[in-house]
Amino acid sequence: MSGWGTPSRTVTLGRVQPQSPALRTIYCNHREANFAHRYKGNSISTTKYNVFTFLPKGLYEQFRRVANLYFLMVSILSATPYSPVHPITNMVPLSLVLLFSLIKEAFEDWQRFQNDMTINNSLVDVLQAQGWESLQWKKLQVGDIIRVKQDGFFPADLLLLASTNVDGICYIETANLDGETNLKIRKALERTWDYVTPEKACEFKGEVQCEQPNNSLYTFTGNLVVDNQTMPLSPNQILLRGCSLKNTDYIVGTVIFTGHETKVMMNSMNVPSKRSTLERKLDKLILALFSTLFSMCLLGAIGSGIFIDRKYYYLGLSQSVEDQFNPSKRFLVIILTMLTLLTLYSTIIPISLYVSIETIKFIQSSQFINKDLNMYHAESNTPASARTSNLNEELGQVEYIFSDKTGTLTRNLMEFFKCSIGGEMYGTGMTEIEMGVAERKGIKVQEAKTSTNSLREKGFNFDDVRLMQGAWRHEPNHDACKEYFRCLAICHTVLPEGEETPEKIRYQAASPDEAALVLAAKNFGFFFYRRTPTMIYVRESHVEKMGKTQDVSYEILNVLEFNSTRKRQSVVCRYPDGRLVLYCKGADTVIYERLGTGNDDLNKVTRVHLEQFGSAGLRTLCLAYRDLAPDLYESWNEKFITAKSSLRDREKRLDEVAELIEKELILIGATAIEDKLQEGVPNCIQTLSRAGIKIWVLTGDKIETAINIAYACNLLNNEMKQFIISSETDAIREVEERGDQTEIARFMKEEVKKQLKQFLDEAPQYFCSPSGPKLALVIDGKCLMYALEPSLRIMLLTLSLNCSSVVCCRVSPLQKAQVTSLVKKGARKITLSIGDGANDVSMIQAAHIGIGISGLEGMQAVMASDFAIAQFRFLEDLLLVHGRWSYIRLCKVVMYFFYKNLAFTLTQFWFTFGTGFSGQRFYDDWFQSLYNVIFTALPVVIVGLFDQDISSSLSKKYPELYKEGVRNMFFNRRIVAIWACFAVYQSLVFFYFVSLSSSTSRDSDGKMFGLWDVSTMAFTCVVVTVNLRLLMMCNSITRWHYISVGGSIIVWFVFIFVYSGIMTRFDRNDNMFWVIYVLMSTSYFYITLLLVPVAALLGDFLYLGVQRWFFPYDYQIVQESHKDDADSINTPDSQETKEHLTPDEARSNAISQLPKEVSKHSGFAFDSPGYESFFATQFGKYVPPKAWDVARRASMKSKSKPK
Amino acid sequence: MTDTDRGTQRDRNSAFYLFTQQNLPACKPVLTPEWVFMTFLFIGFIFIPVGLVTLRASHSVVEIVERYDIGCVPEPFRINKVSYIQDDSIPKNCSLSFKVPKYMKAPIYIYYQLDNYYQNHRRYVKSRSDKQLLHGQNQHGISSCQPVEVNNDRPIIPCGLIAWSLFNDTFTFIRNRAELKVNRKNIAWKSDREHKFGKNVYPFNFQNGTLIGGGKLNPRIPLSDQEDLIVWMRTSALPSFRKLYGRIEKDLDVDDVVVVHLMNNYNTYSFGGKKKLVLSTTSWLGGKNDFLGLAYVFIGSSSVTIAVVFTLLHLLSHRH
Repeated sequence: MSGWGTPSRTVTLGRVQPQSPALRTIYCNHREANFAHRYKGNSISTTKYNVFTFLPKGLYEQFRRVANLYFLMVSILSATPYSPVHPITNMVPLSLVLLFSLIKEAFEDWQRFQNDMTINNSLVDVLQAQGWESLQWKKLQVGDIIRVKQDGFFPADLLLLASTNVDGICYIETANLDGETNLKIRKALERTWDYVTPEKACEFKGEVQCEQPNNSLYTFTGNLVVDNQTMPLSPNQILLRGCSLKNTDYIVGTVIFTGHETKVMMNSMNVPSKRSTLERKLDKLILALFSTLFSMCLLGAIGSGIFIDRKYYYLGLSQSVEDQFNPSKRFLVIILTMLTLLTLYSTIIPISLYVSIETIKFIQSSQFINKDLNMYHAESNTPASARTSNLNEELGQVEYIFSDKTGTLTRNLMEFFKCSIGGEMYGTGMTEIEMGVAERKGIKVQEAKTSTNSLREKGFNFDDVRLMQGAWRHEPNHDACKEYFRCLAICHTVLPEGEETPEKIRYQAASPDEAALVLAAKNFGFFFYRRTPTMIYVRESHVEKMGKTQDVSYEILNVLEFNSTRKRQSVVCRYPDGRLVLYCKGADTVIYERLGTGNDDLNKVTRVHLEQFGSAGLRTLCLAYRDLAPDLYESWNEKFITAKSSLRDREKRLDEVAELIEKELILIGATAIEDKLQEGVPNCIQTLSRAGIKIWVLTGDKIETAINIAYACNLLNNEMKQFIISSETDAIREVEERGDQTEIARFMKEEVKKQLKQFLDEAPQYFCSPSGPKLALVIDGKCLMYALEPSLRIMLLTLSLNCSSVVCCRVSPLQKAQVTSLVKKGARKITLSIGDGANDVSMIQAAHIGIGISGLEGMQAVMASDFAIAQFRFLEDLLLVHGRWSYIRLCKVVMYFFYKNLAFTLTQFWFTFGTGFSGQRFYDDWFQSLYNVIFTALPVVIVGLFDQDISSSLSKKYPELYKEGVRNMFFNRRIVAIWACFAVYQSLVFFYFVSLSSSTSRDSDGKMFGLWDVSTMAFTCVVVTVNLRLLMMCNSITRWHYISVGGSIIVWFVFIFVYSGIMTRFDRNDNMFWVIYVLMSTSYFYITLLLVPVAALLGDFLYLGVQRWFFPYDYQIVQESHKDDADSINTPDSQETKEHLTPDEARSNAISQLPKEVSKHSGFAFDSPGYESFFATQFGKYVPPKAWDVARRASMKSKSKPK
Repeated sequence: MTDTDRGTQRDRNSAFYLFTQQNLPACKPVLTPEWVFMTFLFIGFIFIPVGLVTLRASHSVVEIVERYDIGCVPEPFRINKVSYIQDDSIPKNCSLSFKVPKYMKAPIYIYYQLDNYYQNHRRYVKSRSDKQLLHGQNQHGISSCQPVEVNNDRPIIPCGLIAWSLFNDTFTFIRNRAELKVNRKNIAWKSDREHKFGKNVYPFNFQNGTLIGGGKLNPRIPLSDQEDLIVWMRTSALPSFRKLYGRIEKDLDVDDVVVVHLMNNYNTYSFGGKKKLVLSTTSWLGGKNDFLGLAYVFIGSSSVTIAVVFTLLHLLSHRH
């Protein structure tokens, strides 16, 4: 058991493990003795900072950003004499940005702290002086004996001492750890079973010697020493923090690892942080700005080296001159001027860009995505949740979606839907697929199936008056019915949970199929309500006569387990009257092989039914039984026991023994379970594919099931050319049977290569012709393994990129991740993975965006995801509305920042030419420092939040608009170049219009303006223009736009009124004194203020008009065609987009939902737990023994029986 | 989202609800060709009249510009103007005359214009001490005045390169053999006089060094009354600039001949700067400067042109 290590790839160590001593000794129930060891307390802290580390650590984090570091350097530089500006010029924006970021960090950390406190302060019963006392978790210490009640969480890693259940057994749920919701069993050592009551527990004095804390979830080595008797401990006795107790009144345990030393805490890994593609492109833009900055500085510096000359005597260069202006050291002049200009032009780097983007994204995700009622799932009370705010705009550029099937496309809700008993088909429901067929034929489908059946519950969607309420007694084949129901009620590995009444009981099953079957039996009147290791108790109704119920107990003698090779499961049971029966359920193929002779008619009819079920997308199982003679059974049982206890090849030998008895079966009938699709999945998929998104289904299911679901989801249809690469061909099977592993590998690789090549040759002829069919690829896990090898990878990629849908079935979690990164890295497309289970984690982490389905199953996928939504269909809103908007908004924000800083800095640059390249600043220090953080900061954030090109309902109505994001139409070189051109043009207008027009007196009193008057004039124009430019790029203008834009301009005026109106005695240049009043007393001011912004924006306006009218974007066309629409407030519940399908659309919609014309596959499907763990081990993760497996324990018991 | 009852009607109309659901009332302007056309036309209709009014104001100004830096150097020194200007023994007086082209209504402003003079050079701009100018000698913050802060270990008031290089050409105007009185008061901005230059600060130790940069100051007049200095110290934005010298408060008639006697003291010869004398009247918009008017007219007329072209293009193209 401990042989399995967790691979280092999946686990990052949280902390350095304490190395010595190698052993930890814990004295149970003896605080003083443990005190000497100074074990860590049980309080945890997940905060990043504490009061003391906040500042240094927080600042360090901030300065890891290039822009911040740059500004720090510039700030330092501006404290030197080479700087033309006062240090505040760069310090103020930097400190404001840092302050804001730090406050944000502190706020987030505070929330984490609050969270920790809630956990640390939860209460648990601790043994103290003969009684249980409630104590806070954080006060718990190693060695304490505690009691945990049902559904409670374990506060630390515990050693299980005793349980209220018999045999010291307790059930735990590990969903928080590994995402598995099935219950697991832990069993205390027999020696400690009795310490249940506080009185007894007080007497317990034991000593635990165990390993030091480590992060391996599935291993534990240690000994318990009680009264000098040493007993080995295994993971079976360990209850890990994070798990919860189920099905057990309470347990008593002793604390062995606390707080951060618990295994779950030592496993807490940092989710790899993802950066959006836009942000990575932004880095390039910043880099471009840096190089622009550098060339500007270089140009200016060279200019200054040439300019400087003693002939300008008024510069006082004749005597001793500092290096920067020393004409005899021209080279030094160039270098130092370089530094000067670097500080002067620093505004070209938009320092507040990152913090603005972060704020925008944070609000987008926390207010818009998390609170969108369109993505709120009322049934489960689950809103969407953005777990990271980094990737909002990435949602607007997704090109490939990788989806898990179970739980994502389907509900992971198996509903007993139809059945065939003794050659008669029962069940009146229609699947969505069948409805699609019916609709095509023009039959009106009545949705009346819900009301009639009052008994209907989740998992049982069956109605047929011939069977319900005991009516089956009147059926001609009522004996078959009885066997059928008994088979359902007995042949399974389900655990009942909760009260033993039909209403309250819950079934805990490893596979949802099984739960559905047991549930069906319950609804048919065969209520399985209790299981002990050897017995199954069934409350049977209507058996003797109508309305009578009786409790029957069946002794379970053997369980022959399900696995993927056997594809069947059998139970040997003894009736109270001694009748020995073997009940078997399994795939039609394996059952039919093992049927006894006779009954050919029944078998034939049932097979027809199976095919019908299969084509309707239902999952089928065949049920059969066999009466056993006692002597036959006994002789077989001996073989079984030897096989069971054999040490080598146990599984194989067990299979062989099973074959001996699983024959001459008598077919009872077949079950048909509907793997229910999530609500709105087909529609959503269709919308997404209209948006140009390609959807790949990666599933662990078998090829038939996968194809069936793909049909149901609109992913495949009959018009498509399907390429199927499957390992289930005769040729491969033949080689496999020979059993030579290397030969199999070689052969399969050849086979896969051959097929890939053939399909690649075929493909062009389809997609080259305009009306040709779309392509689809179906490939299974085994073939994928070979296709993913480096030599074939390219072929696979080329082929699959040409397909509009791809279905990968029977893939392992690792392969899911491999396929995802194949597209991500190989094709450099933006990928999104969506899944719900622990097996999707790797895929979720591999993709650009990981989406977890929050709701039923464990939290593992959600914890690893970037966004969590409750339903697959919410993807439509998330991508087409939020993603699209975020992308467009962020592009606007980035471009606007780029523009406003460039335009502003360039005015400064042009001025440099007129100052003998001396690096004299044009603007006042405060103007320059507040430009980015005050005068132009808020409106752009408002745009980042509110801008909407078209309404959300139109976004969904025209999914094609999404393609603009995929093609990155709003942030590419062309756009940057256009903005740059206008920034240059505007800066020229700002500088030259203002300076040229002020060359003569601008006052009727004949007085002249000085430098600071001109620069204030220019700056006013810049602020006004830049803010107005923002309004011009808005697609929707709310009151907040006006407030922020108007506010920014007003703030500038208020600032300058105050700033130039006061003069303190303290260190301040009084250059600016009264400047604005002087300016505003002239008519020139107003004339210029009208002229310059209009002149500057004229070019932009013309561009916008021409662009929109002659080279419009798609969204602009939609805007125009809908501009006369009344501003319909699209209510969150409005489904208008779906209702507005034209008849043609509706028809194609319906047609595409049809299944393959004739599918000969009979729809066998069964989620076998063995199958799951097969992949788990392949993935490298060790899965603990199947603790749900009560049946195994049952069979263990039976072993001892014959003695 | 904790409240599952999806909100009452009141909640639904609250600003926060509309905000989170991104349904805030907004106007969604669509830049249709009509809008573009109308906007351009509107700009045209506003700008052309404003431009014409502005141009008219500019044209109503009568301006006489006379360059004198070369003319005032006697022929023999034209080869080496620098030695001429630096030689104190050579008399610097010079005279020029011009005819008034148009009737000039008082007040007539007298400017001197310097070209290629980098008053906005960084070394130059920062070489002053605003504290000293306002508070005088007892202030020590004169380190910014480098390299002209002390002479003979005593601080210079006013210190710094700007003050040191004070312009010192002087002009007297004679019309019909009668001197035209030049009012040299109130030529600086009021705010400068009252708040930046101290009433009790007197020039001290000024231009006493070995190198004389420019004009000298009367040590008995406080800085706040040294308006030449105040004007000079409001540094210009561009390397070509005018500064107010004084006012003639008499009208000049057409064809009046004005003779200017000037002292050509200031050295612009070392760096090839030009010196010009400017006489100008003003309008409501200040001195003669066609730039604003032309810009207005240009933008207005191009707007109209664009509007027309755009309409034509729109009519010719067949969108929709």
